[in-house]
Amino acid sequence: MDINNIISPQLLDAFIKFGINVLVIILKIVVVLAIGLLHVAYATYFERKVIGHMQVRLGPMRVGPHGLLQPFADGLKLFFKEDIVPANADKVVFYIAPIIFMAASMVNLSVIPFSYGFTIADFTISPVIADINIGLLFIFAMAGMGVYGIFISGWASNSKYAFLGGLRSAAQVISYEIAMGLSLVGVMIMAGSLNLTDIVRAQEESVFGMFAIPQIVGFIIFTIAAVAETNRTPFDMPEAESELVAGYFTEYSGFRFALFFLGEYIAMIIMASMATICFLGGWTLPWYITQVVPFINYVPGIVWFLMKVYACIFFYYWIRATLPRYRYDQVMGIGWKILIPVALANILITGLVKIIMTMYGA
Amino acid sequence: MEHSVTVREITKQIIKRFTFIEILQGMALTLRKMFSRAVTIQYPKERRHIAPGFRGQHALAKNQAGRAKCVGCGLCAAICPSQCIHITRAKGQVDKYEVDILRCIYCGFCVEACPYGAVVLTENYEYSDYKKENIYMKKDKLLSNWDKYMPGKKGEEYFDKFWRPLSEDFGTPPGQSVFKGKKE
Repeated sequence: MDINNIISPQLLDAFIKFGINVLVIILKIVVVLAIGLLHVAYATYFERKVIGHMQVRLGPMRVGPHGLLQPFADGLKLFFKEDIVPANADKVVFYIAPIIFMAASMVNLSVIPFSYGFTIADFTISPVIADINIGLLFIFAMAGMGVYGIFISGWASNSKYAFLGGLRSAAQVISYEIAMGLSLVGVMIMAGSLNLTDIVRAQEESVFGMFAIPQIVGFIIFTIAAVAETNRTPFDMPEAESELVAGYFTEYSGFRFALFFLGEYIAMIIMASMATICFLGGWTLPWYITQVVPFINYVPGIVWFLMKVYACIFFYYWIRATLPRYRYDQVMGIGWKILIPVALANILITGLVKIIMTMYGA
Repeated sequence: MEHSVTVREITKQIIKRFTFIEILQGMALTLRKMFSRAVTIQYPKERRHIAPGFRGQHALAKNQAGRAKCVGCGLCAAICPSQCIHITRAKGQVDKYEVDILRCIYCGFCVEACPYGAVVLTENYEYSDYKKENIYMKKDKLLSNWDKYMPGKKGEEYFDKFWRPLSEDFGTPPGQSVFKGKKE
């Protein structure tokens, strides 16, 4: 029997193509997830190490050489811990909250580009799971979704500490999201696109090589807002240990706690990637470096991307080891009274410069 | 004059606020400390240096013949601020000499009070246990501690250097007649 009698060659071709595309996407998801989770595991390890050394301690040393296997020991411990649900908790919501939180931060991994696309046998593989044109907006939206997880968990725990943590988080994330969004508008104006790959390409073609130089104000605002957005010190009001036990996830234990933990660290990696992509030139290097040292072009772009991300993450550790926590009203004051007006002024100036430059054809 | 001072102050404030200079100074400090040597002592693998004369777990000193120096006079028990030494004598012998270590504050008064240099604080500080009874020190345990932690000359040196039994400095002059007890 001839296969052409059952299905036309064109249709078969289309099916095969479709199948391969699906396979490629699944492969991408697997790779990104695996690498992402590995990064999370070692982000916790290096956070403890870096902060330890900054405080003249050693950090984890016992599990494996220099404590290198500590993340796996932690994971195992969390996995086998008893799962405690408070007696009067809103059970269903209590179960859903960590999943919402983790999913909202994990889904961001799908729009982060790591490099330019490359071609293997007619198939162009772009190192993004979803190369969407509203990448930047999508990340904002998902950051906003994450608040639901936090807030719901605080509500469902039926505990005053968790509830206060949830409230604080909602207030803080909402206020700082405005500043962060506004700080990135400058980047959008300069790049003329919301697609993250296009933003990187625009930086590569720009005079400065990265937007962090012309958009220095935006970069500083973004950095501060990103720290607040990921609930890290000095803006860790939602989980202020000395005030709220552990904040919104006080009542969570075992694997559910691990989900929150995972979500938080992925959010941190996402914010570092955003800073890298929007301000530091992503996987490209400024032309004035590549022209001075030409052989640097042979290094694959993903290396630069990862190095920039690691530098950003290290910066987060660094300020955590240095700064004490702000008071709650100070956090709100910084957000509303300083960051948002400055970000608006930055947009105005960037816009004006852009208009003048297009008018004179520069 | 005053006006210019305030202007300078204000500019200073503004510079402080908008350059994050203080935060940067703090961050420079933490970065410097990151490359300095950690002070951590990794306990079971590494141990803190024990200063000579350390006041740790108790022991009852033995003389050359290997017998307890303690005569059961009870001075140590009398001076003990936390009342953790219990001594009973029976038939001219020290019947019971017990130290309730959980109450001891390691002041070393017992060592100082002892006229014979019969009780010491050794360098051993690792004697935690799951049971209270195992930590409660009885006479034979205290004596074995001497062999364990003050072997050879160490015990005598310890006394000479840090405690010097009062009898050595304030003993009766050799010529003076003293009551040496009833002749057998």
